[in-house]
Amino acid sequence: MIVSPRLLISAGLVALFVAIPLIYIFIRAAGANPEDWQRLLQTRIWKLLGNTLLLTLSVTTGALITGVSMAWFTERTDLPARKIFRWLLAMPLAIPAYIGAIVHLAMLRPRGGYVPQFLANLFGQEIFTPSPFGFWGATFILTFFMYPYVYLLSAAAFRSLHASLEEAARTLGRNPLQTLFQVTLPALRPGLTAGALLVALDILAEYGTVALLRYETFSSAIFIQLSGRYDRSSASVLSGILVGLAILFLWSELRLQGQARFTQVESNWRPASLFNLGKWKIPSLFIVLGVVSISLLIPAIVLLIWSIQALLDPETLIKIFHTGSQGFGSYIWNSLWSSGLAALIAVTLSIPVALLAVRYPNRLSQIISRICQVGYAIPGVVIALSLVLLVNRFLPFLYGTPLIVVMAYVLRHMPQAVRSSESALKQLSPTLEEASRTLGRTSIQTMFQVTLPLILPGLLAGGSLVFLTSLKELPATLLLRPAGFDTLAVRVWAWATDGFYVQAAPAAFVLIFISALPLYFLLRREQIFR
Amino acid sequence: MFSKKFVLVSMLVLALIVSACGGSQAVSEENVAETVSVVGTEEAEISGDLVIYSGRSEPLFQPVVDAFRAKYPNVNVLLKAGSNSELANALIEERANPQADLFVTTELFTIQSLAVQGIFQPYSPVGVENIPAEFVGADNLWTGLTLRARVIIYNKDLVSEDELPTSIFDLTQAKWKGQIAAAGSTNGGMQAQIAAMQQLLGDDATAEWLNGLIANDVTFFGGHTDVRKAVGAGEFKIGLVNHYYYHLQLTEGSNVGVIYPDQADGEIGLIVNATSAAIVNGAKHPQATQAFLDFLVSAEGQKIFAEQNYEYPLLAGVPLKEGVQPLANFRLADVNMVQASANFDKAFDLIEQVGLP
Repeated sequence: MIVSPRLLISAGLVALFVAIPLIYIFIRAAGANPEDWQRLLQTRIWKLLGNTLLLTLSVTTGALITGVSMAWFTERTDLPARKIFRWLLAMPLAIPAYIGAIVHLAMLRPRGGYVPQFLANLFGQEIFTPSPFGFWGATFILTFFMYPYVYLLSAAAFRSLHASLEEAARTLGRNPLQTLFQVTLPALRPGLTAGALLVALDILAEYGTVALLRYETFSSAIFIQLSGRYDRSSASVLSGILVGLAILFLWSELRLQGQARFTQVESNWRPASLFNLGKWKIPSLFIVLGVVSISLLIPAIVLLIWSIQALLDPETLIKIFHTGSQGFGSYIWNSLWSSGLAALIAVTLSIPVALLAVRYPNRLSQIISRICQVGYAIPGVVIALSLVLLVNRFLPFLYGTPLIVVMAYVLRHMPQAVRSSESALKQLSPTLEEASRTLGRTSIQTMFQVTLPLILPGLLAGGSLVFLTSLKELPATLLLRPAGFDTLAVRVWAWATDGFYVQAAPAAFVLIFISALPLYFLLRREQIFR
Repeated sequence: MFSKKFVLVSMLVLALIVSACGGSQAVSEENVAETVSVVGTEEAEISGDLVIYSGRSEPLFQPVVDAFRAKYPNVNVLLKAGSNSELANALIEERANPQADLFVTTELFTIQSLAVQGIFQPYSPVGVENIPAEFVGADNLWTGLTLRARVIIYNKDLVSEDELPTSIFDLTQAKWKGQIAAAGSTNGGMQAQIAAMQQLLGDDATAEWLNGLIANDVTFFGGHTDVRKAVGAGEFKIGLVNHYYYHLQLTEGSNVGVIYPDQADGEIGLIVNATSAAIVNGAKHPQATQAFLDFLVSAEGQKIFAEQNYEYPLLAGVPLKEGVQPLANFRLADVNMVQASANFDKAFDLIEQVGLP
């Protein structure tokens, strides 16, 4: 089939729009003063690189172990209340890691935290508790708020795994443990590498949590550079390296994925038999409950208690309800419309790209599709830096409006929309579109009357994902927001970093609640929740 | 390599899409902009937006905004609070396309270095003649508002009178290891203290002090509220804060005390800095901005800073809040503001060099 030039041009423009901030950062980094490079190489870069890679490694490992083992418990064992635990284990996706960090800091802060104080009162003396700050604290918090990515992907993989695969291994004399490591886990590999990549890229982009826990990575160092000394070139250099690192991750995942193929015959699929936990039932229950508590129950309960405290204290209540002349309602409204608009734009822009990539698969369309997914590799701080420099120069009328924040969301979360639209289109047989053309509809009519209505659920899913992640976005919003444009995430951050946790709680609670709705919709689409 | 034109065209395409989708919102956000009333200066007739970039944390600035709004009900105050340097960066970035009307900061170095770069426009608020001349910028480019002193807060349950530190240099003593809280390198008050010390003592001695703090396992928080609360709760024995954080913590019922350090002969004296405000060059809402700056300098505005925040008002004749020790009781550090602000960048170099969290 011949690609219509209109489609090619629109998809190309979308790719261009997505690629510009990235290219601009590389140009700025390469064009930075050699002295800046030298100063940074001597003082910062190696330490930041070490810190960042170490954290990525530890959290990815932690998330893999937690995610896979939780998936095993809920999909492959006779753990009680599995259905409920599936939901509880996935719901932490609605909680931004920095909110988790705020809560766990309040719990665990040496001497002042609820846990150390409780222990001190109980035993009448100070009891040593591990500090939530630094590397181990960051690993702990981030692991427990990022494992759901791995959990969902590996639960789906466990679910779709053919029973006969493991049965064959057992017949050939492998014991259950050998089967797990030699057959089951390798078969899960595509899901696991995808999950690990998501986690690793998120760690590179993470700002709020590492800043709160005082562990310096590239992202937090860039943020400090941007809000510290009066020059942009150090920040550009660090950003260039960070984006390079992210692209390296993306590329290596592609390589890893490329080597392995697991095909299964769908027709006679039946679920594998459940592992009987036996006397391990209770301990297993405690382990799963522990994970759910740390990542969901404790944050939710603490935020609820704080929110009630805030609502009962008239003085705090007054403070919550206005900043400048803006009120709580405006924070909610700003969060909703900016994330909603970003979702709408991202999905709209993803359609030509997906059409091109799915209906006309060739090298060029693959490249365009890949370019549209680089947003994964550009952390929020870098997008902010890039947009500040670009928009101020070329589109000054956009600067200082909330639309620049929306633009950052679109750029950053575009990949999610592209991937959803592509997978929705893949499931739609082109014969329907061809029939429509044969019956005299133009290509545009076909798109609006046939294609779009049929892939709408997929588009909605992509939109929900963009909406959900935009709601939680912090660093780009902080750096780009115009005065008076506060979102829930900004409010939570501003109050919490000022030390007013109780005041921040209602906004955090509302933010999590709003995030939970699209998440619920998304999870309902997952096989394991059907 | 993409040419400028290329970039421009593609961004424009997006802008069109974006404005098509979000047009109505953008209009309502933007075009509420002030319709300048030419007639009279009656308070009710000043209306429209007022965009404030504030380096002061919101809780300390909101009371004065509220009082202003009560007086000028038609002004819509849009507040963006952040660190001094973050907002200063934004102001520099926006020089050709100014977004803010007023900049408020917690120390003088940032505002002075921005004034030198031509970011502000001159304005003499009503009554500025009653503010000490040293706290008004050259050419009236900025106006000082209040003073604050860098002091040591301590928990009286944990520290006895005879072991109290008397100098900020005592904080590097081994006996305080792990017992001190302070604000970190992103905090304006801390940055200004470092810049002041660099001028008083030189880079080496300042670096040595900072390294001493780091070696002493000082816990650095993002802001001073965390510091005062941690000391009040007994998590730390002592903390390095601005003087009013001691009073704020005392009001919350904690058993805390305060030390105004470095008063002995040969010591550097009490480090003091001023909060200040300036009108941005190209401010879009000049009338409301001038009214607001007038209000900040007026007895009414100054009283709010003194009463609610326990600060030292710069306007002559405004009384201190009961319990606040007059600055006249102390020997102040002799910092040359203009020189220190010219070298402010060196403070960031030093912060980076010692790796202050």
